[in-house]
Amino acid sequence: MRRSRLTSQLMATTLPLALVVGAGYAIADPMLARNMSTYGMPGGIDTPTAETLPEGTLGATISKSDYALRTNVVFQALPQLTAALRYSRVEGISDFRDDGFIYDRSFDLRYQVVEQDGWRPAVAVGVQDFLGTGVYSGEYIVATRDITPRIRASAGLGWGTLAGKPRVIDATDEGGTANVENWFSGGAKPFASVSMQVNDKLSVTAEYSNDVYRSSYRLRNGNLNTFQQGDKEPGNLNFGANYKFGRNYEVGAYVIGGETVGAQFTVALNPRESVYPSGLEKAPAPVRPRPARDADPEGWSGQWAQDPTAQPAIQKALSDALAGEGQLLESMALSPNRAEVRIRNQRYIQQAQAIGRTARLMTRALPPSVETFVITSSADGVPASSVTLRRSDVERLENTEAGKIAAASALSDAPLRRGDLTMTEDLFPRFRWRVGPYLDLGLFDPEEPLRYEVGAEARASYEITPGLVLTGAIKQRAFGDKEQRGPGIPASENGGVRGDHYTAEEYLADPSLETTPEGVPRVRSDTRMYSGNTSPVIPELTLAWFARPTEQVYSRVTVGLLEQAYGGVSAEVLWKPANSPLAFGAEVNRVRKRDFDGLFDFRDYEVTTGHVSAYYEFSQGFTAQLDVGQYLAGDKGATVTLTREFENGWRVGAFATKTDLSAEEFGEGSFDKGITLSIPISWATGTPTRDRASTTIRSLSRDGGARLEVNDRLYDKVRDSQTVKLYQGWGSFWR
Amino acid sequence: MNKAHGAMALTLLAALAACSNQGPDEGGSTPASVLARTVQQAVSARTADPAPAAAPKSAQERVAEALRVNPGPLIQVGFEGLGRTQIMAMTGQNGAMRTYMTPAEEAVILRDGMLVGTKGLGRDLAVAEPGTEALIRAGQSGRGTRIMRYLGGDGLERPLQFDCTTGPGPNPGVVVEDCAGHGVTFQNSYMVQGGQIPVSRQWVGPGLGYITVQTLRP
Repeated sequence: MRRSRLTSQLMATTLPLALVVGAGYAIADPMLARNMSTYGMPGGIDTPTAETLPEGTLGATISKSDYALRTNVVFQALPQLTAALRYSRVEGISDFRDDGFIYDRSFDLRYQVVEQDGWRPAVAVGVQDFLGTGVYSGEYIVATRDITPRIRASAGLGWGTLAGKPRVIDATDEGGTANVENWFSGGAKPFASVSMQVNDKLSVTAEYSNDVYRSSYRLRNGNLNTFQQGDKEPGNLNFGANYKFGRNYEVGAYVIGGETVGAQFTVALNPRESVYPSGLEKAPAPVRPRPARDADPEGWSGQWAQDPTAQPAIQKALSDALAGEGQLLESMALSPNRAEVRIRNQRYIQQAQAIGRTARLMTRALPPSVETFVITSSADGVPASSVTLRRSDVERLENTEAGKIAAASALSDAPLRRGDLTMTEDLFPRFRWRVGPYLDLGLFDPEEPLRYEVGAEARASYEITPGLVLTGAIKQRAFGDKEQRGPGIPASENGGVRGDHYTAEEYLADPSLETTPEGVPRVRSDTRMYSGNTSPVIPELTLAWFARPTEQVYSRVTVGLLEQAYGGVSAEVLWKPANSPLAFGAEVNRVRKRDFDGLFDFRDYEVTTGHVSAYYEFSQGFTAQLDVGQYLAGDKGATVTLTREFENGWRVGAFATKTDLSAEEFGEGSFDKGITLSIPISWATGTPTRDRASTTIRSLSRDGGARLEVNDRLYDKVRDSQTVKLYQGWGSFWR
Repeated sequence: MNKAHGAMALTLLAALAACSNQGPDEGGSTPASVLARTVQQAVSARTADPAPAAAPKSAQERVAEALRVNPGPLIQVGFEGLGRTQIMAMTGQNGAMRTYMTPAEEAVILRDGMLVGTKGLGRDLAVAEPGTEALIRAGQSGRGTRIMRYLGGDGLERPLQFDCTTGPGPNPGVVVEDCAGHGVTFQNSYMVQGGQIPVSRQWVGPGLGYITVQTLRP
């Protein structure tokens, strides 16, 4: 297993220079998008094309016209597969809120079936807004071809919105599921676009579109309510111009139907195009080769080991040197020809870089007779894997192709017995604290697209021994517009009116409201009750114990206030051999709902929730996770998560949960689903740090399929130094 | 958010951005804190008095000082892409391979004057495998393949292969190496003396361009 991964990941074939150097040496790949459409996809203005983005690109486009304000996030998940998530303010439509506009989420997928080749154009098939309420629902087949190096033309057939025949939206439907039976139905019409690249930065586009910007709702009483989006129906011809600047930006202006003017802005990031691909961290201390045997006969003989002061002095020196590299030397075992160090990497996103730097420092600190280096990676106190290297190989292969040292090393489960490991003095107990500001953002709420809260937070941890940690935090809000509020009032309880919310007082006064009329306990839909506290709150206060009962089994027990809304006990075990892409886990939690003041009181709701999980790391950086079990509301079901992980630490994932709650019991959205994004901060700044910017965009905070948000689940904790991720990042070994 | 709140937010962020007993490696680096740090740095950079302008040292003075302070091998490297010239001291030797570093711990690695790699410069050359090395040291004309490996933005080490020819340069004692591949051409020049290369101009890569290397003390 290890060898085949090594071969595929390290013995990389020669790749186009553009991959390495980024902008400046751009290689003309004919079918990469020239500009983004108003839907945030490669396209003309409103119509799609068969173009793609460079694989892995993550972009955002904000597009505004009298018809709509669309905020789009696009991701090129595979070379052929483009996905977009859209949050739109559609003008001119009224739903139950009667605002004259609606906020609407939509999701698109496009697949490029064939690439451009000779006379054959590139061809793509797409579904637009195929989940949810369907204002933009439509499907298409489109072909795109370069006519001259500057001029590119697309033509296609569209259904639904793209044919000017918008789908009738069922106002009683909870949405959120794919309306497959409508796909490619209702009659098709052609569309077309032409774009011309004026120069490196400017492109102009003209298109023929059939979109009439109309929406129809089927009301509860059977009537059909049709709205014109914006002020009037547009004509068929649209024109636009786009201008690129900087490495990542694009601005555009367009005219829809000759009269309605719009503007858009795009930022696109490619994980492969870091500004500082090799990082700005200081150069590592070079290998120090051993002196000749006759120059240091005592060191080579191992005689030094007889001296009881030798190990403490060596350990102190190595620990100080490692500290300069952001590595904590937890413990060390030293014999005349073998040394094991347990290091905790606090700096580098690639564990291989931490291991490579540690190996070089070991050549500088250890007597010549030590030939075997065992570098055990500790995941916050839990040894997760060991890399064994021969010192002669480290000396021989310094600054050569990273694959050579990989082939000369061995990865194994960390030895279980502590044996002669000596803890580094004065390291534990370890008390860490931090006081700082926090900014809490709430995005994509249908009624308030952006909510925020600013305040101060104090956070401290006390690690008694490696793996036994007391953690606490306290937060004080300063200001913000995240106020306390009860959950939405079900229409059935409110004379058929949707969109009203209980006030905090109403909700507190009537405990029966903590269960929905369908009988589902409110485990997440009243999350806003925890917001807006003006007195200090305790987001978490836990005692966690991490251990490794056998070489391949990890365990975690966490007790205390586990998260904002729940406290109790959480226990987890994980089977994850260091050389296996497959893992199994089980977690069980007994938790009680916390009171809304965010302190030590609890409410009445108590539940046992838990899952059994299977994890698999596929090639190409895809990881899959399946969780089956009982969720917070007592509903039973399963969650499927698929994540694309780039070698440099970027992660983009999607998950969906279906439980035994019916779509009606679940409410709007029908089932829980969402997207997770995580970008290492070092990618953007070049400075070495393990910190990440992460977010989860989920459909709606609902009660079905909700999980406990306990910190430090084992899987992501132990994986960094294990086979797949370690070898993915092995290129950084000599970094 | 009104103005008072905005000002308060900035004050809060600025005042609280870095108050802890943790090292820089231990978390707390959120997008907001990175922003706050950047703002802080920008502000302090603007308010800081420029250092009293010491008379800039001439290149010769700097070389003389470096030779005086440093007992070991020294080279002077001009980074053409970065627009600066630095004196670098040897910090390690592994066989014929020597690591030279700037005071800011950026490294250039040479094997008897032939460029092997760079570190700490952001767009480093991970390792060069010049198949032309023997030809160059012997001052001979010929053909060879040069592989240059780079760490890509995605974290993978990528080899780029170039076809190279070597031959005599315009001046006696100089060997030039012309390489082409991947739509790029570059020319390395080496002054060869007894198999050693005391002076050279070598291409590091698309990000850094050329460096000129001059041996101050072998």
